[in-house]
Amino acid sequence: MFLKGLAAAGAVSVASWAGLFSVPAFAQQAKKEQKHCILLWLTGAPSQFETWDPKPGTLSGGPFKAIGTNVPGVQISSLMPRCATIMDKLCVIRSMSTKPSEHFQGINLLNRGAEPRQPFVRPVLGSVLAQQLGHLDSPIPNFILLDPCPEGNEFREFKAGNMAGWLGAQYGPVRAGGTYGIPDIRRQADLTTTDQQDREALRKFLVRKYENDHQSAAANSQNAAFERVKGLMSCASLFDLNRLSEADKARYGPGTFGIHSLLARNLVENGAPFVMVANGMPWDCHILNHETHQMLVPELDRVIYHLVNDLEDRGLLEKTLVIAMGEFGRSPNLNASHGRDHYPTAWSLAMAGCGLKRGVVVGATDPQGYAPIEKPFNEKNLFATIFKALGIDPYAEYDLPNMPTFHRVEENSPAIAEILA
Amino acid sequence: MKAEQASIIKLPSTVLGMDVSADASSLYAACMDGGVYQVEVKSGQASKLYRHSSFASGACAVPGSPTIISAGYDGTLVWYDLGENKEIRRVAAHEFWSWQSDVSRDGKYFASVTGQYLAGGPKYEPAPETEPSVKVFDAGTGKLVHAFSHVPSVQAVAFSPDGKYVAAGNLMGETRVWDLSTGKQLAACKTTSLTSWGIIKVHAYQGGVYSLAFSPDSQSIIVCGMGQMRDPNTGNGRQTWQRFAWRKEGSPRTAEIHAGDAGGGHPEAIAFHPSGKYFVMAGRLAQGKWNTGFFDEPGGDLIHSLDTKARLTRIRFNPDGSRMFLAGGVAQPKAKDGNYPDFGRILVYDIA
Repeated sequence: MFLKGLAAAGAVSVASWAGLFSVPAFAQQAKKEQKHCILLWLTGAPSQFETWDPKPGTLSGGPFKAIGTNVPGVQISSLMPRCATIMDKLCVIRSMSTKPSEHFQGINLLNRGAEPRQPFVRPVLGSVLAQQLGHLDSPIPNFILLDPCPEGNEFREFKAGNMAGWLGAQYGPVRAGGTYGIPDIRRQADLTTTDQQDREALRKFLVRKYENDHQSAAANSQNAAFERVKGLMSCASLFDLNRLSEADKARYGPGTFGIHSLLARNLVENGAPFVMVANGMPWDCHILNHETHQMLVPELDRVIYHLVNDLEDRGLLEKTLVIAMGEFGRSPNLNASHGRDHYPTAWSLAMAGCGLKRGVVVGATDPQGYAPIEKPFNEKNLFATIFKALGIDPYAEYDLPNMPTFHRVEENSPAIAEILA
Repeated sequence: MKAEQASIIKLPSTVLGMDVSADASSLYAACMDGGVYQVEVKSGQASKLYRHSSFASGACAVPGSPTIISAGYDGTLVWYDLGENKEIRRVAAHEFWSWQSDVSRDGKYFASVTGQYLAGGPKYEPAPETEPSVKVFDAGTGKLVHAFSHVPSVQAVAFSPDGKYVAAGNLMGETRVWDLSTGKQLAACKTTSLTSWGIIKVHAYQGGVYSLAFSPDSQSIIVCGMGQMRDPNTGNGRQTWQRFAWRKEGSPRTAEIHAGDAGGGHPEAIAFHPSGKYFVMAGRLAQGKWNTGFFDEPGGDLIHSLDTKARLTRIRFNPDGSRMFLAGGVAQPKAKDGNYPDFGRILVYDIA
């Protein structure tokens, strides 16, 4: 696993948030005010019918039943019995309605919050939150992407792309998880700390000089990457899966998505502002949809249940926004392969925490799940809601010299008032 | 040989299980809408007998009895008396789906297999079963006779023609064989060829044994499924059958589909022709020329093939082997005014 054993190998390690800051008083203040976001990114697009918007007794409903929850009148799929017991802590949107029906476009839209406008690259949610919620002197990366499965077709393309966009490389993600490691992060055994610092000072001087002489964005990115590696070396223990408690791993696991969701909880506890957890592109069930969802949804159910409860137990839920969503939903009609295809017209997602109303279901779809019958919401409504929940002005203008005017959320699109407290 | 389509029977939703009456005048279809239908072959008329509360996955006509037994994704088994036109009993057999079911040729036993695939390890190895995955019932009384252990999900089951054994195959490509008189497990036929661990999109297991059949002499077992894929969600693994000499030490694999014969797709059904001279494998085609292949016995050569343009889930023959019935469905069309056009299919072929 990534960074495994790094602390034991001699790198500086930390065991707490305060240990990451040179001034303890600042650490306490930052911790008090820090808001966080954990995005459970369900790449491939889960079926709303097998999660939050069941349609039992219909031909689009599939084989799973609907079960009651602890919110009167609200039912979810029988594959989510644990979430049914904490429905009063969740809010569900059943009328998401977006445009792109292909993964790459959908992943970009639901991560960036607006359609592309070439050649400008809008930063993804993680990068915006890294800039808005992060602390420059925190060695914990401000944008962490945990992804135990490094592949994922279109998701791999997305990960390889420019996530930070016009905010710049310093707000890009640090990717970790599973067997996806970062090589050469350890200090060489024959290199003293002093020598390493001297070399770093020289490197920094030369790169900065090159950057100034040549106006080089690449040099700027290199400096950002080195800064990030330095931070990683100092907080490597927080990424060590072996340091997670066995009891916690038993609750969240045993699958890697669950274990990395637990890691996300630990990172947030230690100050990380934004952690995105993905696991390849497992939800893209064009064949045997129900046979695949029988395994994936119970894991998601377990993860959401423990994550929300743990954050609440630790006093973190009120300042941590948990989002579970994919890039669209899945079709009401089964294809000839017994799969469900891409469906952006009407789909569902769930959120919790950060002051959002609890036990609320917003929007509804028709009896077969073809279309919203009330309150359709798009990506802009969603991003406005996320930013508001996190105390960020959704409509602020970006300061982008020599570029058109861009806002965090375009067109003054309203937030979803029904779930904002 | 020749296989000419005689008729196409349409049903409201995909047919997941099917059997044929002793005189081959009626078919019994278990469908995705939960309904169990009786279908008159000649007219194509279908009437719903009763329903399960989830998908109906199996329907078996009990030899020598006016009874059918159905199974469903609701985990229940239903005994239905065709003479009296009434339900005899309903048995809660499993906590999860009945994936597949079968009745022994002597009419003594009915078997149903279950199991939910849940993550049991970091690589999404299947967790152990929480209930017996294979259950054998007295087909007459509904009494549980055997409860056998396996690794979920157990997706295929078949009795031997001589009625002495039952075999069940799972997600991980393991087919276990039990002696019905003693309840002892006699063999475990293992293959990794039918199970994919998704590298591209999903770090989990998919596929496995989707159907199996004993050879006419009960000495070997043929299993079928989809060959390994880096991305199981494409569903284009090699159409595969493999034969195991289950009675020999170590239950070795002795044959498999010939290299040039297979395209890509998902075989979900396999059955021997009553003559014992060939067997048929059918399913869904992704790439290639056929979704229904006829293979001579014991050579395994592809001797005929069809592309039926439908997903096929079950194969049955009439007693003299002159007719073949292929059950399945096509893509679910969009509902009009709240009603779906029929997308279940039973394809009737005359065999010569």
